[in-house]
Amino acid sequence: MPAEEIFYLPLSELAKRIETKKLSPVELTQIYLDRSAKIGSRLNAYARLTPEIALDQAKAAEKEIQHGHYRGPLHGIPYAAKDLLAVKGVPTTWGAKPYSDQVFQYDATVIEHLNRVGAILIGKAAMIELAGGMGYRFASASLQHAAKNPWDTKCWTCGSSSGSGAIVAAGLAAFAIGTETWGSIICPSAFCGVSGLRPTYGRVSRYGAMALAPSMDKIGPLARSAEDCARVFAAIAGHDPKDRSTVPIDKGAFTYSPSLDLKARPLRVGWLANAWKKMDPGVTKAILASEKVVRRYFASVKSAALPEGPFEDAGNIIIAAECAASFQALIRSGRVSELTDPLGQIAGYVNEQYSAADYLRALSVREILQKKMEALFDSFEVLVAAAQPIPASPLETNLETDLAFPDPLGAIGNLCGLPALSVPCGFSENNLPVGLQFVGRAGDDFGVIQAARTFQLHTDWHRKHPKLT
Amino acid sequence: MNGKSSSSISRREFARRAAIVSALSIVPPSTISANSSNPEPALEQSSDIPSLSPESQAEAVARYQAILAVYGSRFSDTQKSDLRRLCFAAQPSLDRLRAYTIENGDGPALYLKPLVEREKKTGAAVIPRAPSPAMKKP
Repeated sequence: MPAEEIFYLPLSELAKRIETKKLSPVELTQIYLDRSAKIGSRLNAYARLTPEIALDQAKAAEKEIQHGHYRGPLHGIPYAAKDLLAVKGVPTTWGAKPYSDQVFQYDATVIEHLNRVGAILIGKAAMIELAGGMGYRFASASLQHAAKNPWDTKCWTCGSSSGSGAIVAAGLAAFAIGTETWGSIICPSAFCGVSGLRPTYGRVSRYGAMALAPSMDKIGPLARSAEDCARVFAAIAGHDPKDRSTVPIDKGAFTYSPSLDLKARPLRVGWLANAWKKMDPGVTKAILASEKVVRRYFASVKSAALPEGPFEDAGNIIIAAECAASFQALIRSGRVSELTDPLGQIAGYVNEQYSAADYLRALSVREILQKKMEALFDSFEVLVAAAQPIPASPLETNLETDLAFPDPLGAIGNLCGLPALSVPCGFSENNLPVGLQFVGRAGDDFGVIQAARTFQLHTDWHRKHPKLT
Repeated sequence: MNGKSSSSISRREFARRAAIVSALSIVPPSTISANSSNPEPALEQSSDIPSLSPESQAEAVARYQAILAVYGSRFSDTQKSDLRRLCFAAQPSLDRLRAYTIENGDGPALYLKPLVEREKKTGAAVIPRAPSPAMKKP
């Protein structure tokens, strides 16, 4: 098999070869490390590679497997983790200069889970500084500068999981861990043409992860397919006493069986008519073609509409207030001025000004919205819409002025902690990926995985890869 | 974890409304920060400034002045101008939020508790059933 194809093999195939000893975890790790060193640096995809950790873990995995101790589908599989997840003894910079020397002496729970199943950490993925919590005007708002899109290096990957998107799209690791407060998994997945799962809030522990807006932060995988996302999600989901926001132990765990999920239940799909006010013509074309696929292969597809209200406003105020609290020391010390982005240097001061009354009012609106969405999900298992209304934007775009569009689905999904999965569904007129997102009821991560898998069973967009040399 | 600029919505609205506001004129000069070492940037007529009620204008100005009162010496004139714009940009979101009807008994989601009770129903659905005709491969 040509080396290029190995880089893009899905987890299931890599796992099968590793389990049957046809593929060495050490060799796989080394070729991913070599490719990451060569291509990753051109894309600004990594905060740093971790070759020593990776090769130690790979050798241990190989030894275990040779002795008949195969841990499961992630054993011996290389991955990257967004640089806001603590890895013991390794700098965790949060993408921001004020934290460039920060080192934790413990692993984030997500890293612990992935260690437990034998996955191999090959590097920390680049990210937007402080995950964009202070606002940012340019794609270059990162210690690693702008992450370049593997489909067109003059374009951005989207943020804040900017490196995670680039790494998976460029075949630099089998999967990557990203985080989302509002859009940071779904948007990079769409821009980079990969599959990305934003789990239900509380399904994945944030212990050891940078807090931006604690009531909205979520951790999830970006990978080659919905099935791959499900396999990673099954490894990292679960109650964690160290993160009190995680759902109870009887509801936190997620088990996954690819053979069962497509048969689990007929899905009633709500095709959202008001997710975006305006879409790029190339995106529209891809989405219309996707709608035909969905209408053909799903049990029921009807038009649906999101509730209307000041939900984006509530989301913005909650994020701003919580972010100001999370980074109060940074703001008050003045070290916020060390951030790269001109907006990030000052927006925190504005965020500090929101009153407790307004924050609580936003939380009340959230409560009302949760009930409205529960009612909507009485008619549908999943809602479907374009993941983004545009394809990847040029690197130099002023995001504040030129990438400004209402995003009610992103606001509602993140305010209510709803699971969502973005999958590739075509290309724009400039040959940039377009994403389709499936959004489900809180707790029904299985539903969005089932829906996305069904879509990918009948399409091959997720098997397309950028040509990189 | 924020994939978009937090001020994107209001920016668009500002451009649409294209109002001219001389907000500082309604604030007594005494409220201007004594800590500010730089002179106040000139207030220019700007399409970035949203159309606001007098009360909302006053609130936006107070927000800006509160920042200058504490941190004024930290900012360049360009940053002050940007801060002032952001203070006004924040206001329409607050106004819309406050205009939304909330009853006294509508409690805040003090921490986000996803409504996962429904999972009991969906969890049962992992038992395999015969696939529907619509789900079969072509």
